[in-house]
Amino acid sequence: MQGDGVHQGSETDRVDALKAGTAAAWTQLLSHHGPSLLAYAIRMLGDRSTAEEIVQDSLVNIYHTIDRFDGRCSIKSWLYRAVHNNAIDEIRRRKRYVDVGHEAQEAYFDEAGRWINDCPGWDGLAPKQMDEKRLLGIVRQQMDRLPHAHREVLLLKEVEGFSGQEICDALDISPGNLRIRIHRARAALRAAVVEG
Amino acid sequence: MIFFKCSDVADKISDIIDERASVVARMRFHSHLMICANCRRYFEQFKRVKELAGKVSPDDLPEDFDHVMGFVMNEIDKKNV
Repeated sequence: MQGDGVHQGSETDRVDALKAGTAAAWTQLLSHHGPSLLAYAIRMLGDRSTAEEIVQDSLVNIYHTIDRFDGRCSIKSWLYRAVHNNAIDEIRRRKRYVDVGHEAQEAYFDEAGRWINDCPGWDGLAPKQMDEKRLLGIVRQQMDRLPHAHREVLLLKEVEGFSGQEICDALDISPGNLRIRIHRARAALRAAVVEG
Repeated sequence: MIFFKCSDVADKISDIIDERASVVARMRFHSHLMICANCRRYFEQFKRVKELAGKVSPDDLPEDFDHVMGFVMNEIDKKNV
């Protein structure tokens, strides 16, 4: 490895340092994004040991292919795309990948677009008064049960705080597709939490 | 279409929450909410679920990343030997 300078400049500077194999740049990159990448992989795969293998393999592969990074997306999106693709490959290998869930929302309305029955669950302002800790536990549990296509967009948007463009880059999907997936993911989570 | 139906409101909820909806769509959306308790409840639930999902992260970050990092840095070192 070359040099040990700390890189706090622009993304271009950091990428140059990574391509040059600068130890401090790699250490900084792994320290900054590593735990979040591992958390993402654990939530996608459901078990820590497989997630660690996926993240390790992804990061080593990124190191070997960093010269191909062309800056068309952020380095963060590139990292997540690598971990995401490997995680999805693993899930598909296990034949457990679930693309989309049932479209519960459509079942709520009649042909005229009106509610068939009253909207179930929380009433008015009651959600804000419910025990936050309990609700958070339910949301976390239900998020892990969502179809992967829903879970991945929710994790990146709501948990990791990615922008729309960063999610599109990481998952290689269009903005229109992201919009639909986010909405369906929230609808599925709402249904799971509110209706049990 | 001048007035939103309940199903239109449901379709637009995420655009409203993410502030992607047009001014006209926002006006139609909130006008409908004024007259529909079911859609108000549905909207509150969506907002609450989004808020809660955003709070999931901090305690879920793995505490120990050292050995993953060690493995990766060893691989990097091997290439540079």
